[in-house]
Amino acid sequence: MAESKQTSGKPMTLVDPIDMSLLDAKFRDDIKSMPDGEELSACFACSTCTAACPIANQWTYKPHQLIRMILLGMREEVLSGKEIWECLTCFQCQERCPQKVRITDIFFDCKNLAAESGKVPEKVLAIAKELIDKGQLYVVTSDWEREDLGLEAAVPGLSTDGIRAILKETRTGRLVKGGE
Amino acid sequence: MPVYNLYMGCSVPANYPNYEAAMMKVAEALGMEFEYMPDVACCGSPNLRAIDYFGWLVVNGRTLAIAEKNGHDILTPCNGCFGSLKDVQHHLKHDSEDRARVNKELRKHDLEFKGTIKVRHLVEAIYTDIGPDEIRRKITKPLDGVGIAIHYGCHLLRPADVTEFKPEMLEELVRATGAKVVEYPLWKQCCGATILPVNEPLAIRLARDKIRSMKEAGAEYATVVCPACGNQLDLQQLGLKESYGEVYDLPVLLYPQILALALGIGEDAVGLRMNRVAADSILGHLKG
Repeated sequence: MAESKQTSGKPMTLVDPIDMSLLDAKFRDDIKSMPDGEELSACFACSTCTAACPIANQWTYKPHQLIRMILLGMREEVLSGKEIWECLTCFQCQERCPQKVRITDIFFDCKNLAAESGKVPEKVLAIAKELIDKGQLYVVTSDWEREDLGLEAAVPGLSTDGIRAILKETRTGRLVKGGE
Repeated sequence: MPVYNLYMGCSVPANYPNYEAAMMKVAEALGMEFEYMPDVACCGSPNLRAIDYFGWLVVNGRTLAIAEKNGHDILTPCNGCFGSLKDVQHHLKHDSEDRARVNKELRKHDLEFKGTIKVRHLVEAIYTDIGPDEIRRKITKPLDGVGIAIHYGCHLLRPADVTEFKPEMLEELVRATGAKVVEYPLWKQCCGATILPVNEPLAIRLARDKIRSMKEAGAEYATVVCPACGNQLDLQQLGLKESYGEVYDLPVLLYPQILALALGIGEDAVGLRMNRVAADSILGHLKG
């Protein structure tokens, strides 16, 4: 019989014990009350979401673990991790969940909770600033290219006043102000 | 003639005027009337949804409310805009509380979201309102059966209960041009665009895997229906020589470019020269 390579230390399959005193039971209620968070508790940890995720192998915590961590109340670990921001938003996990847990949507909820406490990656904050300053993520610079193709140099109907006025008054405005 | 509220978003006009020109030519040839919407700009992208859900609801609720004023469906060529508009429409129709909150903001500008029109992606509208049979009748220069791989883009397909799009629609539209649709293992995989700001190497690896999968399955061309996906598969392909030491040379065309060429519209009118990986070889696959 082949000898097991792992003779001492904890088995690879076990994770560090969770410190119960650090759990925040309100976390799952917060998520459940957010858009598309209702089905959170239906998760039975089958990890189909993780199998469907094209980048789960890059992550310390896999999608099914993140859902479990939300249910357990590991607010800090989920909201401070890189995983929620690296979610491709490809919806493959959500589409395949046999329990109809809206996983991708829930990760959007997590990002909103992180943003509410000011935790936004620098380059995402730069996008917020673009939206406040310019009202769009891409601005026409090569208008001669448009004219060559028979299009009007300036995009017909374009007005950025509306979006800028809205976002100045919502969280985007507060984040950009706080980041300055 | 069906009339649509055309919502271009920000990326197509700035980065892909060839997509815009091609879709306008196609609309003219197929008898679809695209009217540029007034007073609108960017949808905010999934990034806005991530940091400011309510702001994202109001921005897109406003766009929908403006479109509702003339009663025509809203149409966009961008998967990002489509995903935002479609998801916000879905949410506001199902969540009366958020709808009231959004309308409270919109009323300040004499607008109201009622949910009375449909959100359409360009290719879904071409499929549903014109259809493959009518397209086949109008085609004068069909393709010669050359193999094209389709990249749909995540926010066109999923979540399916929200987007209501079926992959077969675009498949049939590609076949209607005379091309063959090449199936490839990673057809559902993301192009990686969304995570460019937070993990660029990973985003590029996803695009590269996708291109490789298409090429290995025998595709001679690829087609996309989104500027962000186009950026990942076409523009980023040029950088793979340096980052991966790999050259794929897989031309990526916006679907309306292929359709326009098959309808007999010239390559200059659809900006074929603007495609980053040289795509003019497709002209050799047009018959008639």
